[in-house]
Amino acid sequence: MKKVPLIMAVLTVAVLALFPLLRPEVYYLSFLFTLFMYVVLSSSWNVIGGYAGYLSFGHAAFFGIGAFATAKMATAFSLSPLLTILSSIPAGLLAALVALIVGYPCLRIRGPYFSVVTICFAFVVDLAVKNIEELGGAEGLWMTFMDLPEETSRAIMYEVMLLLMVVTLATVYLLGRSRFGRGLTAVRTDEEVAETMAIPTAKLKIQAFVVSAFFPGVAGGLFAYYLSYIHPDAVFSINISILIVLMAMFGGGGTWLGPIVGAVILTVVNEGLSTFAQAEIARIIYGALFIIVTIFMPDGIIAYFRRWATAQRKA
Amino acid sequence: MIMDASRPLLQGKGITKRFGGLTALSGVDFHVERGEILGLIGPNGSGKTTLFNVISGLLRPEEGRLSFHGRDITNLAPHKRARLGIGRTFQIVRPLATMTVAQNVATAVLYGREGIAGFREAEERAHYILSFTGLSEKADRLPSELGLGERKRLEIARALALHPEIILLDEVFAGLNPAEISQAIDLTFRIKEAFGATIFMIEHVMKAVMGTCSRIIVLNFGTKIAEGSPREVASHPEVISAYLGAAYAGN
Ligand SMILES: Nc1ncnc2c1ncn2[C@@H]1O[C@H](COP(=O)(O)OP(=O)(O)O)[C@@H](O)[C@H]1O
Ligand SMILES: [Mg+2]
Repeated sequence: MKKVPLIMAVLTVAVLALFPLLRPEVYYLSFLFTLFMYVVLSSSWNVIGGYAGYLSFGHAAFFGIGAFATAKMATAFSLSPLLTILSSIPAGLLAALVALIVGYPCLRIRGPYFSVVTICFAFVVDLAVKNIEELGGAEGLWMTFMDLPEETSRAIMYEVMLLLMVVTLATVYLLGRSRFGRGLTAVRTDEEVAETMAIPTAKLKIQAFVVSAFFPGVAGGLFAYYLSYIHPDAVFSINISILIVLMAMFGGGGTWLGPIVGAVILTVVNEGLSTFAQAEIARIIYGALFIIVTIFMPDGIIAYFRRWATAQRKA
Repeated sequence: MIMDASRPLLQGKGITKRFGGLTALSGVDFHVERGEILGLIGPNGSGKTTLFNVISGLLRPEEGRLSFHGRDITNLAPHKRARLGIGRTFQIVRPLATMTVAQNVATAVLYGREGIAGFREAEERAHYILSFTGLSEKADRLPSELGLGERKRLEIARALALHPEIILLDEVFAGLNPAEISQAIDLTFRIKEAFGATIFMIEHVMKAVMGTCSRIIVLNFGTKIAEGSPREVASHPEVISAYLGAAYAGN
């Protein structure tokens, strides 16, 4: 990163990290926890969906796998709060492993068919979890949350999710600028040509898919603990999958900043909608947003306003 | 890999490729010797591009074997063939539209035979190749800003970035004006000298073929009908009727 943006990034993270010291209302910590989580989800999605151009519409599956993995580990082994938080790492690894297995056949399929297959994958995982007795079946799993005052416990989870967000963003940033990132851009642009450029496209796509599943898996683990109760409908919902894609595309898929901006804007919109509108109306608004973005801002809102700014300057 | 000087660099035996009911290649035998400039000619639709697709691995033949340095590559993935040193261009140019001209070339350097993994070194190499192909001034442009002649040269530059042992040129002279054709002929010879690459080229422009190739293979309806020096091929009766005849009839 250039010096100025790097300083800005560090400052932003520092301010966010110190925010709980102001003893804000728990509501704000909770809201930012969700926001960081969506930044993690959409930025990770961007590695396969944005950089490589494989639009996964089933990313909630990885999020949910991580959530259930942590919930199961925490309850089965009566893990301490610290170990429960740390268990989100093996939970992420499990999500990555599933991505490795599923990605192998799925990533041979291009275009809309890939998207359809990933939607089906998420349904299958959802159904499987609902039918596994040990994972709570259709009832879900209860966990014991840390025995601390609410402000403290929420602040701890806030800091942990912030840390995950920073690690995710740093990873995605470095990947985007690496040889690997270049290879993925080539894959997105013309996979056949990429092959003739000696780029091992199949391997790159799998690696991208695995990375893009790992961080959501970790986020899912933290989310499960945060709620202390996890139900398949809360984590495997197609709405989450769509929201992830929408955030990345809204901000600008394939760019580093895009999913961050998209996640911030849409989490705010989401919060407003869930407070002031019914779920059905919220869904209609999302559908409309999706259509508007694909038609009028195919490169995302950042590129859209950059072009607009250039046009203003010329005029 | 075992290097055997007595074996041809690239060899195909009984290559057959069908598209549904259409047999685009039928039992084609060919070989390319190290260091030569081999031409591949034939009327439109005779299977020339299909043969290049089979060699680069984008298409799998129904029958036949391919070997490179004596090693069987019939079932090798395209990127592995590229990595071994088989570079190619596309007749209908296919630049990576999301990258600048320099990035197109540098990306191929990063994954190519040279084994350069560092960005700075790859960019230096890319700039050398761009100056070699006369594209230095366009380095930071997008491919969409290039003219056809420049896009054809970008195809060549990207293939050269792999540091190929053999480069497959698919009609890189087509659509160029006479001045550009002379430049392109010159470039072909320079590729051979500077990169030590063997050249296998499909060409429609007869001046280019006759002036550059040491040997020529002629395809017609997917079958090899002649092979030999430019002079031998040009006087071959079947070639005259099939290829030159068709061309003359068209004029
Ligand atoms: N991918 C493909 N699918 C179906 N038919 C094809 C395909 N590629 C080439 N063909 C057909 O195979 C024949 C040979 O094409 P091609 O190799 O492009 O000819 P040339 O390069 O000699 O002009 C043509 O009839 C063409 O229509
Ligand atoms: Mg052709």
